Amino acid sequence: MIVDKIYTENMFLYYSGKMALNDISIKIPEKKVTAFIGPSGCGKSTFLRSLNRMNDLIDGVKIEGNVIIDNINIYDKNIDVVNLRKKVGMVFQKSNPFAKSIYENVAYGPKINGISDKKQLEEIVENALKNAAIWDEVKDRLGDSAMGLSGGQQQRLCIARTLAVNPEIVLMDEPASALDPLSTAKIEELIVQLKENYTIVIVTHNMQQAARISDNTAFFYLGELIEYDRTKKIFTNPDKKQTEDYITGRFG
Amino acid sequence: MENYRIFDSELEKLSHKVIQMCSQVNQQLIDVIKAIKTSDIALARTVISNDEFINNLDVKIDKLCQKIFALQQPVASDLRYIISALKINNDLERIGDHAVNVAKRIEPLQDYKQLVEEFGIDVIGEKTTILFSDVVELVKTHDLTYAVKIMNKAEAIKEECEDIASRILGEMMHQSEVVVVAANILIINNLFERITSYSTNIAESISFVVNGEIVKHKKHN
Repeated sequence: MIVDKIYTENMFLYYSGKMALNDISIKIPEKKVTAFIGPSGCGKSTFLRSLNRMNDLIDGVKIEGNVIIDNINIYDKNIDVVNLRKKVGMVFQKSNPFAKSIYENVAYGPKINGISDKKQLEEIVENALKNAAIWDEVKDRLGDSAMGLSGGQQQRLCIARTLAVNPEIVLMDEPASALDPLSTAKIEELIVQLKENYTIVIVTHNMQQAARISDNTAFFYLGELIEYDRTKKIFTNPDKKQTEDYITGRFG
Repeated sequence: MENYRIFDSELEKLSHKVIQMCSQVNQQLIDVIKAIKTSDIALARTVISNDEFINNLDVKIDKLCQKIFALQQPVASDLRYIISALKINNDLERIGDHAVNVAKRIEPLQDYKQLVEEFGIDVIGEKTTILFSDVVELVKTHDLTYAVKIMNKAEAIKEECEDIASRILGEMMHQSEVVVVAANILIINNLFERITSYSTNIAESISFVVNGEIVKHKKHN
């Protein structure tokens, strides 16, 4: 049975009074890959960031409507945002490892969450690196600086860092846009593997990437959710002309 | 904002070639029917030799589709059009081959014109050609009213072909001296039936381009 992990109802977002998201209602299924596509400025990244309240960090942002994860409105007053972000992890476009060792990068999250047992930490680090498909490449140099890794490896390390705190949802904002084709392929393969255990939501400008890895695709335009359907349907026979024109490169 | 796409010129080129292939195959059918009706052996030979042009066009269309797939990664209606162009091209090439196969059988039949007319092979050929002229219009315009017309007409033609086949078989059983010539007529009848089927396939492919639904193997109403 498909469970809706995330759903939003009539969600609006304003930046200093200017509407950036207009009445977004969407259901995102558990343990699937959901892709958000649309031209720059369409609101897809803003919407992604609102799923773990990253927009709270920006001044003048106002949100209306409901964003529900596991039946809880994440914008309720009594929500612990730190706990929310543990449950809903995020990977960014530009890999941003800490200037520490590979091991410390991954162990950092569990450590600040109170885990201090060395053996337990080692186990978490190993599992996270394995799940991020980078273990074999770094297992013999866990003490080396993360800054010495290639761009693709750094991005997978950041994914490992996100997985180390045991999230249920992983949000990815153009995770492969700065990578070469081989590293991109590795990240894509990893995303498909991750959906076995995690709900993945990915923003991408690469339409072929959305087509290759996602189960469902949402097309955003000018702050509105224009069309949301199975990826196969969106890329073979979308219902809306705007979707068709965007994915075939006729506008945007 | 509308974008100019390099891709559009490739699609136009493809569309132009598919229409050209259609017109060429249409001419082959018109000529082969005329050759049957008038026992024009020279015209039948022209049909046979013209097939090379169709075969060359078939390869060009295949290559162009391959190029578009590889370089443009088409999606949505573009994807549906190119998939269909490949299939339509294949169907057209087969219809072209069948026109040649009919043409090859005209010479042995030239002394049996009466039998050809008696079984109505010239008439069924004519109907098949008229059906195909609707295919040409459909491919040019993507107007699905032609598709519905083709699917309905094709059913009737196929039934008629079945009828003709049983009459020919009956004749073969009763008159052993006409077996060889009747077998030839039976084959031509079968070729027209196949051309009708390919015409239906093309109608289905254009329906897929227009509305994205696969209608083949469904009963047409």
